[in-house]
Amino acid sequence: METNPNINRLLEMLETPEAYSEQEIRNIINSDDETREAYRLMVAAKRGYIHRQTEQPTDIQAAWERFEKRHYPKPSSRIWMKVAASFIGILFVSGIAFAALRLVHQYQKPEVPQTEQTVSISKTNNTIPADTLASDTTGIQPVIYDNIPLEKMLPEIAAYYGVEVTFLNEETRQFRFHFVWNPRQDLERVVNDLNHFERLHVTLKNHQLIVE
Amino acid sequence: MIDKTILQRLFCQHYSEMIHLARTLLYDGEEAEDTVQDVFVRLMEADMLPSESKMRAYLMTAVHNGCVNRIRQKSVKEQAKNLYCTETETDMRYIEERLETLDAVCDYADSQLAEPHRTIFRLRFKEGLMLKEIALQLDMNLKTVFKYLSQSIQRVKEHFRP
Repeated sequence: METNPNINRLLEMLETPEAYSEQEIRNIINSDDETREAYRLMVAAKRGYIHRQTEQPTDIQAAWERFEKRHYPKPSSRIWMKVAASFIGILFVSGIAFAALRLVHQYQKPEVPQTEQTVSISKTNNTIPADTLASDTTGIQPVIYDNIPLEKMLPEIAAYYGVEVTFLNEETRQFRFHFVWNPRQDLERVVNDLNHFERLHVTLKNHQLIVE
Repeated sequence: MIDKTILQRLFCQHYSEMIHLARTLLYDGEEAEDTVQDVFVRLMEADMLPSESKMRAYLMTAVHNGCVNRIRQKSVKEQAKNLYCTETETDMRYIEERLETLDAVCDYADSQLAEPHRTIFRLRFKEGLMLKEIALQLDMNLKTVFKYLSQSIQRVKEHFRP
């Protein structure tokens, strides 16, 4: 079979297209109908073999997951931090309200000794040694004091801020509270929050927490 | 914006056919996936969807147009080197009909060409080897490889001439 010189030129060009200008390439492909048809056939042959190769089943689920990951991004950790911060804020406010209610309720009932529920604190690892807290404030979590006597709770808080505690009234030592302490807050704010409790008055004077 | 559940259903229903078309036109799995994803991104951001009966045609045309655009963005040299279609294929029906003939072209070449024509044809278009590489692999003269491939192309072309 005789070969078409234009098709031979096409084959030569396809070996090294980088050696030709874009216009030369176009001219060679479109030299005549025969050559144009030959190029179409070569494209069809390449497509055909790829068409066969790609007929294997596609993992659609994996493809969807890739799409989802790219176009439905999950909220960033920064957003989660904001959500967590809001939650802590709500917890703190509700903690104060709960403590106030509980204190009022406790004084309306006959005195019944209760067991200290310190387990909940240690279990959740919310009580962090004061020295650790003082040196590193990153990742500090609020500490929940649940039904803990004031004489146990306040020295811990005071130690964190490097102040002493003085109880002017022995009775107040045994007051029990549900209190959420956020070590990120300054001592003045903590004192202010403590003073929301009925029958408790705390003042900060000369590096001392004075409890009346 | 289209609901995620609806989009996922359409994705599962049509992805296979869409990716198949994109791979066939672009030869590259990654580029094909990007093209199909682009179609679904546009769908995701749309305010309303084509009707169920027109959905397949809409998606396939969108993939086809996406592929044509990607090919058009390549340089003429790159198009020639990788044997991309250099013409603007605008009619989707024409493309689908041509897709159906692709297997027939390969079947004909595989069954009707004699050796070594068949092997040269397959190495060039299936394996993507250059003629120099084929000559080296088959231990043949480069001019002979040229001649055999040219003869094969003319023969297959004659067979499929409309």
